[in-house]
Amino acid sequence: MIKYHPQQELLSLHIKGELPLSMSLAISAHAEMCSICQQKLNALTESETVNVFDNDVESNISVDIDSQMSTLLAQMMQNTLDDLDAKPAEAYIEGVTEVTVKDQSYPLPRAFRHQIKAQWQGIGKVSRLRLDTGEEHARASLLHIAPQGEIPEHTHKGSELTLLLAGEFSDEYNTYKPGDFMLLDENHQHSPKTMTGCLCYTIVDAPLYFTKGFSKLLNPIGELIY
Amino acid sequence: MENFQSQTAQNRYDKARLAKDNGAIQLSNKNELDAEQLAELMLKVANLRCKVSFAKLFNHFGPKINAFGNQRLHQQGLAMDLVQETMTRVWTKAHLYSEDKAAVSTWVFTVMRNQCFDMLRKVQHNKEDSFGDDIWPLFESDDAESNEDDFKLSGTLLRHVDELPPLQRQIVQGIYMQEMTQQELADKLDIPIGTVKSRLRLGLEKLKGFMEKHYD
Repeated sequence: MIKYHPQQELLSLHIKGELPLSMSLAISAHAEMCSICQQKLNALTESETVNVFDNDVESNISVDIDSQMSTLLAQMMQNTLDDLDAKPAEAYIEGVTEVTVKDQSYPLPRAFRHQIKAQWQGIGKVSRLRLDTGEEHARASLLHIAPQGEIPEHTHKGSELTLLLAGEFSDEYNTYKPGDFMLLDENHQHSPKTMTGCLCYTIVDAPLYFTKGFSKLLNPIGELIY
Repeated sequence: MENFQSQTAQNRYDKARLAKDNGAIQLSNKNELDAEQLAELMLKVANLRCKVSFAKLFNHFGPKINAFGNQRLHQQGLAMDLVQETMTRVWTKAHLYSEDKAAVSTWVFTVMRNQCFDMLRKVQHNKEDSFGDDIWPLFESDDAESNEDDFKLSGTLLRHVDELPPLQRQIVQGIYMQEMTQQELADKLDIPIGTVKSRLRLGLEKLKGFMEKHYD
């Protein structure tokens, strides 16, 4: 049973498409494992659709936009739609559906399908596969810890997100199960260890927008997540 | 919810009247379609590749997408790009839409939001990637990608099948309701497969005609 979920505010920003890629990957993957959050996301999508679409924008649309719109429609009706249908469907590239590390294979959530391009790197029991999300500060990775492995006690400059994808691990606070979504701020220290091994998705040193969305950069992170 | 809807209706009425009073040229609300109408248009686009229905969806959603794009992308040109890219996907991905899973507006919002996400990444990170649909699936049924060519008869279409000439009706029903292959039908009716194909084509064209006459 999943005990740790993203906050409602994060879910809402995710639905609006206002979170950076690294964080939206985490929420999408969590929801794939968590039907409770998936249902919340579905409901949020519906209410956001109403927010965005239920305005009568037509009556205050400018003549200029109106004519651009007509031109675009005419162009689509005359050529584009036929061209699109005449083109053979683009082959869907399924991407990566599982990863193998230290002879162990794990299925991957759908969101990561086209994110796995690097190789595993690491020493001893801890292996890391970096994702290239193009974000300057947030570093997103898959993290694998082999059985009996641990990560030395550490704190973070920014927040740290850990989404457990498979296996189990424990820290000073608790024991975690697949799907658990843990967001730690810079005040937390912890030293996770695993008995049987685990695969996580992590984001570290994340800047503020990480938890607040692009539009709320100026708000300080005050509250503890758990 | 009901309250909210009646409020919007009231607003529209007020705006329309205001516009009339001002003598301004108005598109009025001719493009405001309800959920059921949108679903019918969407099914016609998906199943019959109906351009007239597409144009109605375009007129309904285009200005809304443009308004959203202006807020998010902060550049006029990009907002129009968002309209074009979103409506292109509505056309090419229409078969992924499932009435059971979401309202058309929710689905179009999803397509638009995903597209906007990818466009923003391009602007902000100079990344030419398209991860939106990986992160927010477009509600397709689980096997949709392998069954792209499936022709789903909507309730609306079904009503018109009975109006087809008997020979065409027989073929359309056999293929789409009893899920027989064209060869099985040819064998069963003891007619050449070419005849099955031509009756099917005529039947579908006629169905398309019924739909257009009925809704346009």
